[in-house]
Amino acid sequence: MKIIYSDALIVGGGLAGLRSAIATKEKGLDTIVISMVPVKRSHSVAAQGGMQAALANSVMGEGDNEDVHFADTVKGSDWGCDQEVARMFVATAPKAIRELANWGVPWSRISAGERTVIMNGQKEIIQESQDAHGLINARDFGGTKKWRTCYTSDATGHTMLYAVANEALRRNVIIHDRKEAISIIHDEKKAIGVIARDLVNGELIAYVAKGTMIATGGYGRIYKQSTNAIICKGIGTAIALETGIATLGNMEAVQFHPTPIVPSAILLTEGCRGDGGVLRDKDGYRFMPDYEPEKKELASRDVVSRRMIQHIRAGKGVPSPYGEHLWLDISILGRKHIEKNLRDVQDIAKTFNGIDPADEGSKGWMPVLPMQHYSMGGVRTKPTGESTTLDGLFAAGEAACWDLHGFNRLGGNSVSEAVVSGMIVGEHFATYCKERNLNANTSVISKFMQKQSDYLNEILAYNGKENIFDIKDEMRSIMQEEVGIFRNEEGLQRAVKRLEELLIMTKQINVKSKIRGNNPELNEAYRVPKMLKIALCVAKGALERRESRGAHYREDYIKRDDLNWLKRTITRWEAPEATTPTISYEELDIAKMELPPAFRGYGRKDSIIEHPQSMERTQEIEAFKATHPDMDRFELQEQLMPFELPLDYKKKNQRIGAEYA
Amino acid sequence: MHRVYEDGGREIVLTIFRHNPNDEDSIPHFQDYPIIERPGMTLYIALTQIYTSMDHDVSFDFVCRAGICGSCAMVVNGKPRLACRTLTSEFSEGKITLLPLPTFQHIKDLSVDTGTFMNAMTKRVEGWIVNNSPQDISTIEKPIDPELSDEIFELDRCIECGICLASCATKVMRPNFVGAVGLNRVARFSLDPHDSRSDEEFYELIGDDDGIFGCMSFMGCQDHCPKHLPLQKQIAYMRNKMVKVR
Amino acid sequence: MQKNHLIELLTQKDNRKKKSKIPARLDFLQSATGAVLVLFIMFHLLFESSILLGKDAMYALTKAFELDFVFKGGEPLFIAFLAFGVFVVFILHALLAMRKFPSSYREYSAYRLHAKMIQHEDTSLWFIQITTGFMMFFLGSIHLYTMMTQPDKIGPFASADRIYSDTMWPMYLLLLVSVVLHASVGLYRLIIKWGWFEREKSKWMIKAATIFYLGIGLVSLGVYMKIGYEHRGEYGKRYTVEANK
Ligand SMILES: Cc1cc2nc3c(=O)[nH]c(=O)nc-3n(C[C@H](O)[C@H](O)[C@H](O)COP(=O)(O)OP(=O)(O)OC[C@H]3O[C@@H](n4cnc5c(N)ncnc54)[C@H](O)[C@@H]3O)c2cc1C
Ligand code: HEM
Ligand code: SF4
Ligand code: FES
Repeated sequence: MKIIYSDALIVGGGLAGLRSAIATKEKGLDTIVISMVPVKRSHSVAAQGGMQAALANSVMGEGDNEDVHFADTVKGSDWGCDQEVARMFVATAPKAIRELANWGVPWSRISAGERTVIMNGQKEIIQESQDAHGLINARDFGGTKKWRTCYTSDATGHTMLYAVANEALRRNVIIHDRKEAISIIHDEKKAIGVIARDLVNGELIAYVAKGTMIATGGYGRIYKQSTNAIICKGIGTAIALETGIATLGNMEAVQFHPTPIVPSAILLTEGCRGDGGVLRDKDGYRFMPDYEPEKKELASRDVVSRRMIQHIRAGKGVPSPYGEHLWLDISILGRKHIEKNLRDVQDIAKTFNGIDPADEGSKGWMPVLPMQHYSMGGVRTKPTGESTTLDGLFAAGEAACWDLHGFNRLGGNSVSEAVVSGMIVGEHFATYCKERNLNANTSVISKFMQKQSDYLNEILAYNGKENIFDIKDEMRSIMQEEVGIFRNEEGLQRAVKRLEELLIMTKQINVKSKIRGNNPELNEAYRVPKMLKIALCVAKGALERRESRGAHYREDYIKRDDLNWLKRTITRWEAPEATTPTISYEELDIAKMELPPAFRGYGRKDSIIEHPQSMERTQEIEAFKATHPDMDRFELQEQLMPFELPLDYKKKNQRIGAEYA
Repeated sequence: MHRVYEDGGREIVLTIFRHNPNDEDSIPHFQDYPIIERPGMTLYIALTQIYTSMDHDVSFDFVCRAGICGSCAMVVNGKPRLACRTLTSEFSEGKITLLPLPTFQHIKDLSVDTGTFMNAMTKRVEGWIVNNSPQDISTIEKPIDPELSDEIFELDRCIECGICLASCATKVMRPNFVGAVGLNRVARFSLDPHDSRSDEEFYELIGDDDGIFGCMSFMGCQDHCPKHLPLQKQIAYMRNKMVKVR
Repeated sequence: MQKNHLIELLTQKDNRKKKSKIPARLDFLQSATGAVLVLFIMFHLLFESSILLGKDAMYALTKAFELDFVFKGGEPLFIAFLAFGVFVVFILHALLAMRKFPSSYREYSAYRLHAKMIQHEDTSLWFIQITTGFMMFFLGSIHLYTMMTQPDKIGPFASADRIYSDTMWPMYLLLLVSVVLHASVGLYRLIIKWGWFEREKSKWMIKAATIFYLGIGLVSLGVYMKIGYEHRGEYGKRYTVEANK
């Protein structure tokens, strides 16, 4: 039995995992990161548009600070997020971005003087101050009050991931790639590592550590059409679920992005619209202002996606061999802007569709359609990042439901979350590992090892008629059609029922090659059941949640129902042989919120069933503010909703003009 | 209105190198897979189709399938390139031969181990920022000339796909050669004002015949790099710098 | 001293734990010697083709190299000196460039298979460079040795006799093709290696220069052959300006 020991084990080498590894290294812990793919290929690399942090360097960000970022995030989440976590996040994000600059991320910088930008489809001239010259620039993104999204052209995730990975290598983080975690080792009380499969030769390895972190990213690939990389299958989330102890949060909260290109499903960054690009229908008509007069194309993603589908349903879609779509027009930004700031977009359109988006007029329009993009749900954790129910198991990044994003995350907030949670959760994780001894019982380890080995043999021995690829395809189609942008009772019931059947069918397959080594079909055979479990959590959570909130939209319950549904969905897989998850809820306490539920400022105004407490809390806060006119924003905040941060992360952030205010 | 949807429907043949070095019984050979071309078909789509419907045992590596992550480099009709960015319609004869990327440890079929090499390369050229002055991340960041920042970004765009190595005759002959990917990395950090290293220090990393002086200017890197990085310019720039080091 | 060498032997670094600067020097010298040779050959070929302007022109030029404007009748020893100088640079360059030769069959075949697979011009060019370099090792040595030992035997008839009647023409033909190709590819490599000029444009210009030099080289070789043929009866007889009138 091959056992590899370390102090801290991190599953997943994306931004969240690697930044956490730096935190554990900083504390002198032996750290191993395992990853399905070479870490620099992790999906973080694909983030294009940018990272949110309230630096307020540009004139368009003037007046921005933690408070504004906080409010945007909470509104974006449709009040589904954990406000304490959101506070922790916004206070740390500016530090994260400055740390990344020190590690070599070549952030786009501000040039003092005049600059032409496109706002609302119109050219406007803005004037950057001399003080800001050379400081980190920001662009506009959906759902934000200020220009807050820092970027490196449209390869932000790439430069960030490389900087963090290089720094991790500098600090001698040990990286084992092409290792897939397939089970979490635990002794009913705490997690002590994972069983991983070496994807080169099929060997099983037990990675044992004082603490284990899941940073495995999202689960978008349970959908037929997704912008996610093909490794985003949610396996890390699934193995947490399979412990039967750890729980998942808000799995039904799945984000759809308005503008992936048709048909290859490659994302065209939000930066397209942020920089001034517009959406057009089959008549070339710009339709978003009709639906969202204020934010137009830049309303939050869930809103824009729904409006697009709504518009297509109204008969305005452009027909194509791949179904109907709409147009994204960035040609109005001009060739120069596109070739500098949206080069990857241009490259994608040229390579995959033969379109040069800088071509003027309709020639440069790109076909787009909303598709799955981000998983708000994940391993449910406390604000420290530790699982609420399984000691020693931490989660960070997209794999976690830390709960920064609630029911909708804002563009630019997730790479930001990945790094910030790597800093905060990574630090708590490091402390946890530091304070514990490695007392792993070998019999527990070998029990888990044996179980996985038996499981793989069992799969190879299946002798049924089903085909794992068909099962997977059907799952992905069901998710797409029944658990997509628009959801309803009937469809969701059908989905849950069929997904259960599919899960049972995964035991009725026949894997052609019987080798345990490098066998791609075997990979599929053990991954698909895990994906189905995740899909069931999403579908069942969506079925039970009879309201609409953020990205979760029920055609039969179109209102956000704060009265009954201001709560987080918690799913658990009670027994290994179960075919559906068990659902429970965690209430969100309005009385503790710094920002009580209200209208988001975009979407439909009349669609909220209010909770009486919202008003009470609002009045309470107003009254408190009125009676404490001398308090500055930090003191007020502290009084309304105290939060804690490790290291110096709570230190005030300096800004030009405002200094530390 | 647009010519997005070109015709498809012809039969194309993918000839794939098959071998599993970890399996003693495996004999290297080529296997033909005839498939029907679809409009806009990339090698990612074609290979996935072969894998799901014809042969569940072919191995290859795709991650982002959008030309961003650098996973899918392979040799397509003799040229190393990113498979996910290669349209089958480019090959008018309809015959496409696929080989795994040379110069890397072969895993199986079209899959090779780039991760181990690239991590080792990063450590070898110390491809990270070196700066020992204390930094307070709650204060305003160091201002950087906007154009310089863009210039660094240009070089930071390398996706470690390994194509420059597989296209490089020097690397093919001399496995210890660090290659364009490593030399470009050093050039990138030498430009960065956050990095405090001097040319003397960079010389210690690449000043030998496995490093900058090993490059024989075959330009395979420059001509095949999918990110069109200015590799020739960067290597020349580093060479000029390095010969001047006393 | 001895100990320092041992340190270097064991660690590839000097006693201050610094990397040796020798590879940098060698790389620079390889290019420098190459550049000198290219310059030399560019003029050499032009001078040698002065035969195209007539025997007198060639004769006068030869005499000028023998410094006949200083020493009456010219002193062929100067040609020998020049040849010796070139020979030194030539040997030095060959030694340095040899470091880059495929050093085993494995390397050689790896290069060949790779070049065949990738079908890439700049990669294939190197094959020309190593084969022509290798050939020149012999051909160039022979030629330079002749020039050093018989510096007096240069002139319209002497050279033509050597080429035609001594049957040296196959050697010169090969040497000419080798040297022009090698120098062209070498110069191109210098340009991209040190980043002097833009690549595509340089390539284009060098291609034009190659054709020009091969052209004048071949035609003058033809002219020497013709002269040698007509002069075969008087083999050994030297050219004088008056006699030709
Ligand atoms: C196309 C696209 C564009 C985006 N653009 C933006 C943007 O502009 N701004 C923004 O803020 N966000 C953006 N996002 C979202 C953002 O990129 C991700 O949410 C974020 O990078 C996730 O980081 P992570 O570290 O949590 O996970 P990932 O980067 O996904 O890393 C997951 C890691 O886990 C490993 N792994 C997975 N499963 C296993 C297993 N079972 N065993 C071992 N290892 C495993 C993987 O190999 C990988 O190393 C974008 C997302 C997409 C899809
Ligand atoms: C014995 C004769 C010669 C041999 C064996 C020889 C061999 C070589 C070889 C193998 C290279 C390639 C080196 C590399 O790839 O880095 C080279 C480069 C070069 N050669 Fe020669 N060569 C010879 C004579 C000449 C002559 C006569 C000239 C000039 C006319 C010349 C000009 C060059 C130049 C300019 C380069 C490029 C140098 C560089 O890349 O730094 N060589 N030579
Ligand atoms: S330099 Fe270009 S070819 Fe080489 S690894 Fe980077 S992106 Fe790939
Ligand atoms: S799969 Fe990412 S570059 Fe091709």
